[in-house]
Amino acid sequence: MEPLTSFFAVSVILLGIGIYGLTTKRNALRILFSIELIYNAANLNIIAFARLRDPPIVTGQVIVLFTIALAAMEASVGLAIIMLVSRLNVDIDLRKLTRLKG
Amino acid sequence: MTDLTFLALATVTIASAILALEARDLVYGAAALGITFLGMAGLFFLLDASYVATFQIAVYIGAVVVLILFTVMLVGPQMGEPPMELKRLSLLTALLVSLLLGTAGSLTSATAFPGPDNCGSGCDLIGLSKTLINQYGVPLEFLSLVLAAAVIGALTLAKADRKG
Amino acid sequence: MPDPVSQIIQLVTSTYFLEIVLFPGLTSIAILGAFFTWFERKLTARVQLRIGPLYSSPVGGILQGFADIIKLLFKELIIPEGADRFFFIMSPVTALIIGAALLGLIPFAPGIQIANVEVGLPAFLAIVTLSPTLVLLAGWSANSKFPFIGGLRALFQQTAYEIPLWLSALGVVMITGTLSLTGIVQYQQNNGWLIIPQALGAVLFIVTSTAEMERLPFDLPEAESEIMMGWQAEYPGPLFMLVQGPAFIKLYAFAALFSTLYLGGYLGPAIIPPIVWFFAKTIVIIVAIMLFRSTFPRVRLDQLLRQGWTTLLTLSIVNIVIAYFIVV
Repeated sequence: MEPLTSFFAVSVILLGIGIYGLTTKRNALRILFSIELIYNAANLNIIAFARLRDPPIVTGQVIVLFTIALAAMEASVGLAIIMLVSRLNVDIDLRKLTRLKG
Repeated sequence: MTDLTFLALATVTIASAILALEARDLVYGAAALGITFLGMAGLFFLLDASYVATFQIAVYIGAVVVLILFTVMLVGPQMGEPPMELKRLSLLTALLVSLLLGTAGSLTSATAFPGPDNCGSGCDLIGLSKTLINQYGVPLEFLSLVLAAAVIGALTLAKADRKG
Repeated sequence: MPDPVSQIIQLVTSTYFLEIVLFPGLTSIAILGAFFTWFERKLTARVQLRIGPLYSSPVGGILQGFADIIKLLFKELIIPEGADRFFFIMSPVTALIIGAALLGLIPFAPGIQIANVEVGLPAFLAIVTLSPTLVLLAGWSANSKFPFIGGLRALFQQTAYEIPLWLSALGVVMITGTLSLTGIVQYQQNNGWLIIPQALGAVLFIVTSTAEMERLPFDLPEAESEIMMGWQAEYPGPLFMLVQGPAFIKLYAFAALFSTLYLGGYLGPAIIPPIVWFFAKTIVIIVAIMLFRSTFPRVRLDQLLRQGWTTLLTLSIVNIVIAYFIVV
């Protein structure tokens, strides 16, 4: 099996696990875990494709530096929101949190 | 040596990703997520992206996992999971999406990407920094502004909690 | 694909494996960790005009560290009820692994370095950022109030001092132009030790690494007289040894990194072998950090966090500006 195929397979499997978690779980923190898994799968994909091209380019690594920083920011703001919501409502079941107000 | 290392890292990453979602206690899930990130960093090292791998360790495991653990400890234990029919549908969805993407990927990957063995100027650290500053300088500045916005947003949320 | 069994056999019988296991790897780290326990107690005792450990061996109690290990192994292992056993035991073990990984990145002598990564300095600092996670898990898993508060305090302290640590090392990177530790030592071979142009950076580095290691004067999370040893309070006999071990291994690792970055690592006139130079410089830095313990009073948590986020951050940015003017 070629290296690109095997790295791509790992990335797709992680993406599948992330989508499964995103659609199945109803605890907001597990959904955040799934989102982080999807980010990581995409990062691995970008770096694998940039490295295993015929002349390898470095743009993949640059893009992944940006996406790692953005994912960390998004996770921190999301966690702050989850903590606030749990203070107000006690319950972070996302199927019950369907209103924007309150 | 690369094949054995790759198999070990891929197995650890995927197994701990499944564990992160299926563990009953969220703290175990967060720790398993940390091990997933560590496995990803190992895979980045295998792909000659060493600076990105250290960045992944420092940012994801050093900061995001700490934040998640902190939130889990302060939010406290929560209730269980939905019944089985919904789970089966989502499992099917995830399988179909993965199958679709895998087919698309294998159609492109077989012939167009032979993959050279040594990386030359594509993985050079100096090349990375030159590309980052020269071609991506403006996005870098925008990234710092977005970081500042995220910090201000998180601080505002913390203040709102204290007042109300 | 080559046979995995033959790959494993080839790995185990190479000198690289001996380097990992014996020196400068795991065995030497364990022995030096026990030795530094004795060294600290003797040094602080002499500063305070006491004698310190004396009776463990004919030579002034030098085997005290090993005597402590044997004593702790015979103590009773009590894990608190309701404690999370997995994290309670695995957090100190992982901290030991992290300490050993830190020492694998440092060049001890021109041929002796376990992992010559081209991003050696960020890799070292990135592995250091893993320790707040472990302290938080250790404090939380004991299921008791004092350890949890101690764990949170340790988390705040270590997170606050990571940024000045990275920024004060950034001055070194700006001057040498390389991220690998062997490259930095090579630069110092040609251009003199980096402590001269980076004096402010060196002072900042030693202060922030002392805070990162939670040693006095920054050891509020494990303060004996304030919150009952903080996050280490519930750790019984053998596990206590596992908890104290990473503290000394991190001390060794940070002192070794300081001597590599600022004092030229293993460089020195060739009459003495390079590895002796390396250990001489590392021991000088360890003595300096241990003297901090005997000299300064403990810093309060809010003073500590305020200093970390304002004063030290500003000074490290000033250090970067100074490095810029040196390079340009």
